[in-house]
Amino acid sequence: MTVDLTQFHDAFFEESFEALDAMEAALLKLDIGAPDPELINTIFRVAHSIKGGSATFGFTDIASFTHSLETLLDELRSGAMPVSDQVSDVLLKSVDVMRAMLRAVQAKQPIDAQHVSDLQFDLEVIIARKPAAPPPPAAPQAAAPQTAAPRIAPRWQVRFRPYRELLARGNDPLRMLRELGELGEMHVQIDAQSLPALTDLQPQDCHLAWTIELSGEIPEEAIRQVFDWAEGDCDLAIGRAAEALAEPQAEQLPAPATPAAAGPTPSEPVAAQVDPQPETPPEAPGATSAAASAPRAETAGKPETAVSAHGDSGSIRVSVDKIDELMNTVGELVITQAMLSQLGGQFDGPQAEQLRAGLAQLERNMRELQESVMRVRMLPISFVFSRFPRMVRDLAHRLGKQIELKLTGEQTELDKTVLEKIGDPLVHLVRNCIDHGIEPPEKRVAAGKPAAGTVHLDATHRGGNIAVEVSDDGGGLDKERILAKARARGLIGANDTLSDAEIYELIFLPGFSTAEKTTDLSGRGVGMDVVRRNVKSLGGKIEVSSEAGRGSRFTITLPLTLAIVDGQSVAVGSETYIVPLISIVESMQLKNGNVSRLSGQGEVFSFRGDYLPIIRLHDVFGVEPHTRALHEGLVVVAEGDGRRVGLFVDDLLGQQQVVIKSLETNYGHIEGISGATILGDGSVALILDVPGLIRVASMRIAA
Amino acid sequence: MKLRPRSKTVRKPKRGRQTRVAPAPRGKAARGNPLVLQPECTLADAAELKSALCALLAHEATVTLDAASVERIDTAALQLLAAFVRDRRLAGLAVEWRAVSRAMHSAAQLLGMGSMLSLSEAA
Repeated sequence: MTVDLTQFHDAFFEESFEALDAMEAALLKLDIGAPDPELINTIFRVAHSIKGGSATFGFTDIASFTHSLETLLDELRSGAMPVSDQVSDVLLKSVDVMRAMLRAVQAKQPIDAQHVSDLQFDLEVIIARKPAAPPPPAAPQAAAPQTAAPRIAPRWQVRFRPYRELLARGNDPLRMLRELGELGEMHVQIDAQSLPALTDLQPQDCHLAWTIELSGEIPEEAIRQVFDWAEGDCDLAIGRAAEALAEPQAEQLPAPATPAAAGPTPSEPVAAQVDPQPETPPEAPGATSAAASAPRAETAGKPETAVSAHGDSGSIRVSVDKIDELMNTVGELVITQAMLSQLGGQFDGPQAEQLRAGLAQLERNMRELQESVMRVRMLPISFVFSRFPRMVRDLAHRLGKQIELKLTGEQTELDKTVLEKIGDPLVHLVRNCIDHGIEPPEKRVAAGKPAAGTVHLDATHRGGNIAVEVSDDGGGLDKERILAKARARGLIGANDTLSDAEIYELIFLPGFSTAEKTTDLSGRGVGMDVVRRNVKSLGGKIEVSSEAGRGSRFTITLPLTLAIVDGQSVAVGSETYIVPLISIVESMQLKNGNVSRLSGQGEVFSFRGDYLPIIRLHDVFGVEPHTRALHEGLVVVAEGDGRRVGLFVDDLLGQQQVVIKSLETNYGHIEGISGATILGDGSVALILDVPGLIRVASMRIAA
Repeated sequence: MKLRPRSKTVRKPKRGRQTRVAPAPRGKAARGNPLVLQPECTLADAAELKSALCALLAHEATVTLDAASVERIDTAALQLLAAFVRDRRLAGLAVEWRAVSRAMHSAAQLLGMGSMLSLSEAA
């Protein structure tokens, strides 16, 4: 009948994963030789809080590993050991291992014990072999001697005021006080002034606060560690007992009666030691407001700012399901609103005007609501970009190349679903750039380029879409090699002549890889075709441009959201279809003369010096059209999979945003159709999938 | 005196439940009095403890708390007991401890609650 801690597991995992990301980022920023103490502190705190949490939840393997890690970090923090390349590597590996362990525990799977113990062994070897403390290397550190030497005081006063939700988060002040009591002689004063009447008391809320006096030679960090896991759930002020009253600004006391001569000089605590009066715990109204970071700032910079407390961040965690549900309801509302608008136009009379005004307002509000809900799902693309610094560093190491990664537009926001699915394709593109694109340093220098290659990731909004570009300043795509390979594989005829763009398109064909030798990075058969397929499944497209010797550029264009699409509605007979705007090049009327019929390719028309096949939508979907004569209808030039076609329709109806309803979940997958939507008049329109449509049409022509 | 508790039991079944788990009812006073604390007094069961305490809050005779078998107790439970003892005292009503286990005693001391709970005379 203990507290069911499992309810806190999810929060623990989530926070730990986030903390590990922060730790990784901090590790990558760490300068070898002259590390920023603040970064080391950030790293240390991550390890420490994961250790504390896993110990609380009984994940002993993780706790034991993080303990070794923490020991090493402590050496770094105190300056007893320099940050070397080797140390930084081991620490990065530790991040991976901790992540893997947490994932395993989360999925209730066994932990890869061998891997863990190997790394733990490495950690311990490093700790054991620690070189003699280097002569204080960093000048800024020497300026602040407190940093290196832990602050030890003979008598501490700790003011601990938990927030109300501390208990509900699985923290028990009792456990913390017990740990404190083990550090030295302790005198505890409870403050129960805000304890409400029993009948009003919610058992899971904490209304108590404590002022604790500790005597004994105790380092401040030891005290902090006790409260580490409660960080963000309480106000904590730690001060030397004698000084407590003399630090008015730190404690935000309302001007104490005797500011006295007791300045916060290091010599003061000696006096306090001589005079250990246990009966003078100052009644401290200021403890409430004293932020945890205030007294600490002087010791260790301001580490709290890096691991910002989640208590007051002004955000909440909401499950994606709930947002999806909201999104769905809003989608239904949009449809209802469109239906009402259409209906409203059919009335006459004095009240009809009022009705229309109301409907117009409804439409405006609807659009705002829709946008707000969509914004809830939006996250900055930095969530995806953040994994690249580490990846690029590791890859560059392994391949012996020098790579500089440039990230821009990280704050560009896009839908969470899109964000999650774009990660893998981007990883693949970046890998390709590093593996195939960027040349080895000596080759680059010989070509008159800087030894370090640049990989650039950029994200920008373009209209209703987002464009993510991966570019490098490497050698560019090798046209000759691509052609040779394509011929060897029979993908093109020996005598076909292709334009540059067509040659680059070849790399998106399944099973195409130009890597001369298969490395473990690329060339394993999963290639650009998978990238294109993933991008396409998100309703986006990928294009490539390249210049020999100057580098190549991959551009992924994605819709901002998967729930709504900007579409052009077209009429075919009595049916309405939606063509996504992203795939439309232009619309035109054909003249009688510029259509010709080719054997084996059906009808084609000339479009800017090119001949494009015509797909008659009425044929494909078996609808009776208003006209079969090409010059009486319209042709929508659409693009998919790098091919352009003309879709023959009766008429264009208008552009609108439509809410996508999945056909696959409600019915089944149909080639050429990506989904359906409900129009204002309540009728259903199918949304066309242009690449699929091209496949369907070319099969029909071939048949 | 004998009728009252029975009729109360009907109205407040929760207190009846509390009595059932008590090892050996020692006879006198209202049901649930003495209130025998469970070996595990933690946040998970704090709601139950609270309703048991609330039921005794206005009890006119001295309420006896039996903490002999407490093996584990946390801040949430101690906070409830502290509020109970204080509220009773403010209303001029008496609370006494029959027995206090070592675990309970040391927990209360650690939190600085000894005098609030008037534990000093027990144990």
